[in-house]
Amino acid sequence: MILPTSRITLPLLALSIFLINTIALNASFSATANEQKIPSEYEEVWDDDWAEEPAESPWQFTGFVEAAYGQFLQSNVTVNSAALNELRTRVNIDYNQQLFSAKAKVDYYYDQVLNKAIWYTRELNISASPLSFMDMKVGRQVLTWGTGDYLFLNDLFAKDWQSFFSGRADEYLKAPSDSIRTNWYFDNINLTLVWTPNFTPDNYITGERFSFYSPQSQRIVAPNEAFPVVKTDKAQWAARLNTRLQDVELSVYGYRGFWPTPTGNMVSHDEQLVNLPQGQSQAQNQNYGYFPKLNSWGVSALTPYLGGLFNIEYANYNSIENSNGSNQDIANGQHRFLVGYEHELAKNFTASMQYYLERTKNYQTLKANSPQPERLVDENRQLITLRLTYRAKQQTLSYSLFGFYSPSDKDAYLKPSIDFQYNDQWQFSTGANIFFGKHNYSFFGQHQDNTNAWLRVRYQYE
Amino acid sequence: MNIMTQNTASYISNLKYQLLLAFLVIITFASSSQAQQLSANQIIDKANLAAYYAGDDGSAQARMIIVDENGNKQMRQFTILRQDEKDLGNQNILVFFSRPSNVKNTVFRVEKHIEQDDNRWLYLPALDLVKRISAGDKRTSFVGSHFFYEDVSGRNPNEDTFTLLAEDETSYTLKAVPKQPKSVEFSYYVINISKSNFLPIKSTYFDSKNQALRTMTVSKVKEIAGNATVMKSRITDLSNNSYTDMQFRNVKYNVGLPNNLFSERSMRTPPRAWLK
Repeated sequence: MILPTSRITLPLLALSIFLINTIALNASFSATANEQKIPSEYEEVWDDDWAEEPAESPWQFTGFVEAAYGQFLQSNVTVNSAALNELRTRVNIDYNQQLFSAKAKVDYYYDQVLNKAIWYTRELNISASPLSFMDMKVGRQVLTWGTGDYLFLNDLFAKDWQSFFSGRADEYLKAPSDSIRTNWYFDNINLTLVWTPNFTPDNYITGERFSFYSPQSQRIVAPNEAFPVVKTDKAQWAARLNTRLQDVELSVYGYRGFWPTPTGNMVSHDEQLVNLPQGQSQAQNQNYGYFPKLNSWGVSALTPYLGGLFNIEYANYNSIENSNGSNQDIANGQHRFLVGYEHELAKNFTASMQYYLERTKNYQTLKANSPQPERLVDENRQLITLRLTYRAKQQTLSYSLFGFYSPSDKDAYLKPSIDFQYNDQWQFSTGANIFFGKHNYSFFGQHQDNTNAWLRVRYQYE
Repeated sequence: MNIMTQNTASYISNLKYQLLLAFLVIITFASSSQAQQLSANQIIDKANLAAYYAGDDGSAQARMIIVDENGNKQMRQFTILRQDEKDLGNQNILVFFSRPSNVKNTVFRVEKHIEQDDNRWLYLPALDLVKRISAGDKRTSFVGSHFFYEDVSGRNPNEDTFTLLAEDETSYTLKAVPKQPKSVEFSYYVINISKSNFLPIKSTYFDSKNQALRTMTVSKVKEIAGNATVMKSRITDLSNNSYTDMQFRNVKYNVGLPNNLFSERSMRTPPRAWLK
C-alpha cells in the first residue's frame, strides 16, 4: 500500500493532538478562569432544598458557536489547501405545547473554503400525535435507521460525505430532507413511513472541496465547477417495520426512489438541471450525471450476545433502469450484507468490528460492457471496519479510532480523533481523515490526496 | 461449634465449666432474641426496597453537579420515570436529559433485569436515532458523574455476600464482599443502613489493603407519600477528592405510569404529561 502520509510530516495533526492532550491533561491551569465563565448557579454550594421552578417556558433556545479548520497533509489538485475553514453559529429553538411541538435548528456560517456565508437549516419541523397510536413529524428533519456503524445498507436517507471527509461533527454526516414521517405504533409492531416529496440526494464529493478520480479523464481531478447533474424532483418513499422477539430487534425495510449519488450518465432531457456551469446553455447531446431509479428492500436483526451486541443486516438494491446490468451508464443492482459485533473490552474501552459485503449483480454483463474492465470494482467488494473508543477523565476525554479496510479494493480509510469536553460550554476536538490505497481509482484510494487533519473548538450556550 | 465447645469444656475445671455454661445460656438467649431480628440479607432486601423500589412506580427530577479534582464543574439535569414489574424484581427506567444543551433531549432507557443482563438504549436527538447499547460494565460512570450505573439503578444483591458487622440504636452496619471479585474495582464495601427507614445512609468502598476508595453519603432524606426518599447524596472519589452531588425534587410515587410508556416511542416523542 502507498502511504500518502509517510512522505510528509504531520505537523498540524501532531500539533492539534498535542494541544488537546495538553488542555485535557493539564486542565487545572485554568480552573479559576473556568469558574468565571460558568453560570452563577454552579458557583454556589447547593442548598439542601432544590426549589421547585415555576412552569417551564414553552420556548427554549440553545446552540453553539464553532470554529473549525482542516488542512490537507500533502499537495492536492483542489483550489484550496484547506478542506475545512469555517466559523459557524447554531441556534436551536424548541417550542413545546400540549398538542404539538416545533423545532428549528439553523446554522449560519462563513465558509472560507467556498468563500461565502451560508444559511443552513438542519431542522424546521412540527411534531404531533394526531392519533393515539400515531406520531408524525412534518418538515425538514434528519432521518436515520439501520444497524451499521458508518455503513449504510437500508438507510438511503441523504448523507453529507463532504462533512464526513472534512472533519465536521458526526451529526453532519446525516443531511436533512424535507419529509413527512409517520410512526405507527401497534401492540408489538412499529411502522415508520417516510415520504419525501422531492428526492433529496447526498452531498457527495465534488471538486469544490475534494479531489476524486474521473473515469473519463482517468486521473485525479478537482474541477472548479461541479460536474453538471440532472436532479429529479420526484418523490422518494421509505418504510420500516420493526418488532422485538424476546431480546432480538427485527426490522424489515423498503425503499422506492433513486440512487443517492449520481450513479447514472445520460443525455439531458427536460428535467431540472442543477450544477450547470454558469453561462453554459444546455447543449444538445451533452452527457450529464443523474440519479437513476432505485428500489430496495432489506432486513436487519440486532441482539445482545455474550455481553456485547451482535447485528446483521441485508439489503437488496434493484437498479431498475438497468435490471439486467447491460447498461454501462447506470449502476448495477447490488446485494449488501453486514455483520457486526460490539463489546466493552475493559472499563471505558469499547471495540466494535464489522464485516461488509457489496456484491454487484450481473457482474459478468457489467464487465463485458465496461470500457475499463480492469478498473472495475470487484464483484464482491468487501470491507472490514474497526472502532476503538476509550474514555478517560470522567468521560470528558475521549480517544476514538475508526478504520475501514477493503481487502478487495486494497484501500483503507482511518479516522482517528480526540475529543475533550472541558466543561459544559467548551469542547475541543481534533482528528484526521487518512486515506490509503494501492490504486488511485478505488473507493478510498482515489482520496489519498484528500488526507487531512482538523481541529474544532466549540462553545455551547443556553 | 458445639463439638468444639464440648471438647474444650472437657479440659477445663468445673468452675470454669459452670461459667461457660452460664455464658452459653446468655448466648442462646441472645441469639433467640436475634432470631426475631433481621439477618443481613433481610436488611439488604429492605434497604433495596426502600432505596430503589418505593411505590409501584415513580417520577422525579434530578440534577447532578460534577466537581473534578481541580474544582471544574459540570452539570446534568434530567427527569427519571420508573416502573417496577414487582418488588425486588425487574424494572423499567427512562431518563430524559434536559441540561446541559449538548445532551438536551437525549433519552436513556433501561430494562433492568435481575436474572440476566440489562437492556439499554440511547436516543440521539441530533440523528433522531434510537441506538441499542451493550449492557457493559455497570461500574462505569453514569453520564460522566461519579455515580456508576449501578448506583443509579441499584446493585444486584445477588452479587455480594453480606455480613452484619455492628448494630446500634439508629443503624445497621454491614459488610459486603463481592462473589466475583474480578468484576469490580473494590474488594469490599461497608454500608450503613438506617433502622428507621432502611435507607442506606453511607457506603464506603475499600481496596484489598483496607484503604477507602470511594464513599456514598446521603445528606438529606424526606418523607414523600409515606416513602422515606433520598433528596441529596454525594459520591466522592477519595483518591483525589473529586465528587458528584445528586439532588432530587418533584418526587412522586404511584403516579400510574402506563406499561406501554416504557418504549421506543417515548424516547422519540417524550411523554410530556408525565414529565411535569
